[in-house]
Amino acid sequence: MNKIDPWDSPNANDRQLSVDEAKILDQLGLTGDSRRKFLSRVSAASLSVLASPFFTAEVFGKAISNNPAASPEELLNVILVDLRVNDTVKPLQLDSRMTLLDALRERLQLTGTKKGCDHGQCGACTVMIDGKRKLSCLTLAATCKGKEITTIEGLAGEDDLHPMQAAFLKHDGFQCGYCTPGQICSAVALLDEAKEGEASYVTEAVGEIKEDIQLSEEEIRERMSGNICRCGAYNNIVQAIMEVQSGEETPARWEFASAEQMKKAKSS
Amino acid sequence: MKNTTPSGTGNPIDRVEGHLKVRGMAKYASEFPVSGKVYAQAINSTIAKGEITAIDTSEAEKQEGVIEIITYKNAEKLKRYDEELPSLLPDVIQPVLQSPKVHYYGEYVGLVVAETFEQAQYAARLVRFEYRTEEPRIHLDRQRSDAYKPEESSDYSRGDVAAGMAEADEKVEVTYHTPIEHHHPMELHAIIASWENGEVKAYASQQMIDNAAITIANTFQIPKEKVRVIAPYVGGGFGSKLHAKQHVILAIMAARKIGRPVQLTVTRQQMFTNTNFRQQNEQKMQLGAKKDGTLTALVHETLSHTSTYEEYQESCGTVSKMLYKVPNNKVSHRLVPLNLQTPFAMRAPGEATGSFALESAIDELAWKLKMDPIEFRIKNDTQTDPSNNKPFSSRLLTECLRIGADKFGWERRKMKPGAQQEGNWLIGYGVSGASRAAPYRETSSKVKLELKGGKVYATIQMDATDIGTGSYTIITQTASEYLDIPVDQVSVELGDSLFPVTPGSGGSWGAASYANGARVACMNAIRELNQKLNTDEDLSIQALLEKNELSSYETTGTAKPSEAFKKHSVYSFGANFAEVWVDKDTGMYRIKRMVNVGACGKILNPKTAFGQIIGGLTMGAGMVIAEQSRIEPKYGNFITRSFADYHVPVNLDLANIDVVFLPEEDKIANEMGVKGIGELGITSVAASIANAIFNATGKRMRDLPITPEKLIMAEPEPDAI
Amino acid sequence: MRPFVFTQAQNQEQALAAAAANETAKYLGGGTNLIDLMKEDVERPSELIEVAGLGFQEIKSNQNGGYTLGAMLSNADTANHPDIRRHYPLLSMAMLSAATAQIRNMATNGGNLLQRTRCPYFYETSMPCNKREPGSGCGARNGMNALHAIFGWNEQCVAVNPSDMCVALAAIGAKVQVQRVNGTTRTIDFSDFHRLPGDQPEADNTLQPNELITAIELPKPAFSKHYYYLKIRERSSYAFALISVAAGLQIENGTIVRAGLAMGGVAHKPWKLTRAEEFLTGKLPQTKNFEQAAELAMREARPLEDNEYKVEMGKKAIVRALTQAYEKNA
Repeated sequence: MNKIDPWDSPNANDRQLSVDEAKILDQLGLTGDSRRKFLSRVSAASLSVLASPFFTAEVFGKAISNNPAASPEELLNVILVDLRVNDTVKPLQLDSRMTLLDALRERLQLTGTKKGCDHGQCGACTVMIDGKRKLSCLTLAATCKGKEITTIEGLAGEDDLHPMQAAFLKHDGFQCGYCTPGQICSAVALLDEAKEGEASYVTEAVGEIKEDIQLSEEEIRERMSGNICRCGAYNNIVQAIMEVQSGEETPARWEFASAEQMKKAKSS
Repeated sequence: MKNTTPSGTGNPIDRVEGHLKVRGMAKYASEFPVSGKVYAQAINSTIAKGEITAIDTSEAEKQEGVIEIITYKNAEKLKRYDEELPSLLPDVIQPVLQSPKVHYYGEYVGLVVAETFEQAQYAARLVRFEYRTEEPRIHLDRQRSDAYKPEESSDYSRGDVAAGMAEADEKVEVTYHTPIEHHHPMELHAIIASWENGEVKAYASQQMIDNAAITIANTFQIPKEKVRVIAPYVGGGFGSKLHAKQHVILAIMAARKIGRPVQLTVTRQQMFTNTNFRQQNEQKMQLGAKKDGTLTALVHETLSHTSTYEEYQESCGTVSKMLYKVPNNKVSHRLVPLNLQTPFAMRAPGEATGSFALESAIDELAWKLKMDPIEFRIKNDTQTDPSNNKPFSSRLLTECLRIGADKFGWERRKMKPGAQQEGNWLIGYGVSGASRAAPYRETSSKVKLELKGGKVYATIQMDATDIGTGSYTIITQTASEYLDIPVDQVSVELGDSLFPVTPGSGGSWGAASYANGARVACMNAIRELNQKLNTDEDLSIQALLEKNELSSYETTGTAKPSEAFKKHSVYSFGANFAEVWVDKDTGMYRIKRMVNVGACGKILNPKTAFGQIIGGLTMGAGMVIAEQSRIEPKYGNFITRSFADYHVPVNLDLANIDVVFLPEEDKIANEMGVKGIGELGITSVAASIANAIFNATGKRMRDLPITPEKLIMAEPEPDAI
Repeated sequence: MRPFVFTQAQNQEQALAAAAANETAKYLGGGTNLIDLMKEDVERPSELIEVAGLGFQEIKSNQNGGYTLGAMLSNADTANHPDIRRHYPLLSMAMLSAATAQIRNMATNGGNLLQRTRCPYFYETSMPCNKREPGSGCGARNGMNALHAIFGWNEQCVAVNPSDMCVALAAIGAKVQVQRVNGTTRTIDFSDFHRLPGDQPEADNTLQPNELITAIELPKPAFSKHYYYLKIRERSSYAFALISVAAGLQIENGTIVRAGLAMGGVAHKPWKLTRAEEFLTGKLPQTKNFEQAAELAMREARPLEDNEYKVEMGKKAIVRALTQAYEKNA
């Protein structure tokens, strides 16, 4: 884990593990020495947090039990889908009613994709399906046969963040972080759409076709309007996207008043 | 201690937990992989007032996967209110499914637990309720004769307002309306609850860990020590997650009943009916001033509502008591009990709505006086809080207005409405002042130090939460500064009731309280290690541990407000400037840019502080643009029932915002000089936009939100155009 | 969601046969409206027949000198198709004003035609709605109806069609191609595709049971130069229209030779402003003519208790959309 993880605690040895925690460690394949070593790095609150990258990156495919909740005969209409997520294929038996969003979150532990409304009205569940940004809450998992799904967990490399992730971090393009994965997936797809020359409602002349367009601030705002951020980080999100698009630094929009300004304000 | 590390407070470092958030690795309540968990779905009443007369669960019970159906008939008996209309405080009990009575549309009447989410949702549709329906009371306007003065009244008066109005040369007597608004944090309220050995464990999306534990303990009548609440990340709150709500109790009740962990997520639709809202307000304003701009009287009377089972009041008039020097002042607040759920604090409760009325009325009076609205405000500025005659600990309102005016280019504003046009656009400039109390509360923290490989690593623990506010980051910076070690040697652990108690996130006290709590723990560690050595040398924390021959050390600390704090009025101040372009025909408008100036004490991290300001401005822009929850007059439900009906601002609704922080360290507020910032932004924005719309169109929009339909139908003020 | 059987049709015949065999089955396209309504328990199909993989993804020129749009092509791919952008920018603009990039990537052209009303009484199953539950009454008629119809409504239903694409299609004058289970096809004039509530408010359109939309036929392009889609809404993006206007003008030698004009958010169907179109034909593109056209268009408006504003807004929107259309490339 990154060394500035807020839960990195040096002092968490020898404590009683709950059944859940023990199970996570089992699933991670951590026993004996490695288990003790792992535990020395984490505190109680963080165990499952730390576990998630392992679930997603390393043991995806073997550690997830094949639906602990429902056996096939309990489901009214079982669908078999080989779900291809972030270059890994996972065969799933699932209820025909299950959305891609719930399949990711509840069956594959890929909880980076968020449920913000479950009705296609917020964008928090945005993922890329065959390279196009789509809403996983209105996509039945059953319709994903043979499709390539990319979630937030699939964007970063082993060590490096995707440039869009790095820009969001640098420009503070989030606060609570809940809409963030959807925003980032959306922003990544947005720049691909700009490369393709796609238009938007605010595009001046829809009839003129150009490729590889540089999006104005207005264009970015319109095209990102499908991702609601209730914390109100829109301005920072736009800055992050503009920086990734142009490769040029976008300056921060805050400043401190100078002593001179203060003096002038007082005296006038 | 002097800050010698480049990453101490005041520096714009990236959020320390940010890398987890951008990777989707931060875990929110419903995301903990608790094994064996099952799924619950709550059922809502479909009447607004009456009583359940029959329940048929047979169809639902037959469905695959259904484990349990809970209604008032088989629910665990919980602690119930001892009194009628108890005050809704953050640690209040939350009894649920205790009687067949229905108090509002959407009240929880049942819960289905099933093996899967899909099964639970489906079965919940199949439980049949029959009701005896009574006529609900849902109209603030029609029920106004039921208005009463709350027992803990916020009424206030000084001087003689009638005399003050009589001596005024110009007067404004107008009424402003604000609708019900909903918090709608992006993370749905959620909980995974389990019982182990008589103890509750709840991964729950809560702003205040300790209050949540108290509510759970009190409702189930168990000791608080037997309740563990965990919320390392909270996907926004804005007040809606201040206390544990009924769904928390439902999930815990269900987990006990079936002996398995239960996950319950409140749906977006249920976040209209079951997680509180900002109440509707009718604010009657009377202002008078002399020709030279001296305010002579200010009356601020609010009519609002509470529920029929709990009392909540938020005084919109607070701001009118203290923002301007006016000798004759009256503020009152009346409530009508309605068949709606209880309103509860939403970002800047009272100030956001009260400032809209006050700062709009100030603009109206300035217009009548033919005075610049900035000069009018400055004319009535004061360094003494007129409501209690205490000095303000610091107050830079005039500086906010003047520096903002320069930055914004206020001199280009034409006083005459409609004087600036471009194509189909009418361009208007508006300004508003802002104030928001800067409270600070007792906060405890633990610091654990470890000496490893020649470096000191520190871990700070407290039950504080980071709801997007930047708590992790500013606490990290504080510990880094006071221990004088780099930030990457500091870890912060939050959101667990096992950690020392803090007031939690809300009321703009988070940053000041958490930072000072961490500071005291760090200073205690240094002091205690010094004492052991019996030295007064200025040793580094590393030297202190080494000389003590310690490889680790831990201690706690508690920060408390000082006596000086109590002798002062402690507020943050600000000003907002908005340029709004109004389409002359369609009623649509765009906020083209804003400049916000804040005097809010020491800025612990300008990057996260900027986020708090623009976040408040965005939500405040939402108040103006479209946010309103409308009640169906016959059925008593919210007709705006989804995110497609209740319009929160989208990216295109906003434009660039420049934020100027004034250099201020208010050591009376607290030792670190920090004041609240989370609610200051929303406090100033609505009026500034409405005032800009007046400047563009000559139309006074006194009823939020300002929708195209209202703008099209409104007439300009007679003398404006 | 209620349980349903999920059927993935391999071809058009299979899809049609599956639908014919189950009268409570529904075709599933992009799912952006249907899945939402199933979660709301408004739509309750016992079977979903996925038609996304059946082809019908092409845009090709047709014998009328126009283009034909595949029914299963996404709204995004349609709006961004070079031929559509060049020849039918009005359609592109209307489609791009709708929903969000994510939803436009999912929603299909056929599905857009079948989009159901956003009336909250339709969505909230505890309230009466003749469209959702025939015979239960219309809650909005005497309830909250600010967002509802000003044209063509009756006591049975005051809901409006929410589509933007369809407003442009009405202005352009499209046709809908439909496949039947017996192998035959039929073509429906766009103005006959959607219907007014009449005594059957539950029926949004004139499709017969199991018929499958396969394509949308566009006529020879007429408004590639002078076009505008104006959408008035409560926030600047990601909101349904209070009122929208699709305006296309064909101007030759300074005179309007053809006008295409339709409104959204005002009726149970996309509201084609035929009288205004006729009035404008042969006139000069001048404000007074636009204003007169708007007066004509709104003459028959019958506002409800809460939506009188739509009459005023509608007039202004028509004038604005025509003006913008004229000024574009003028």
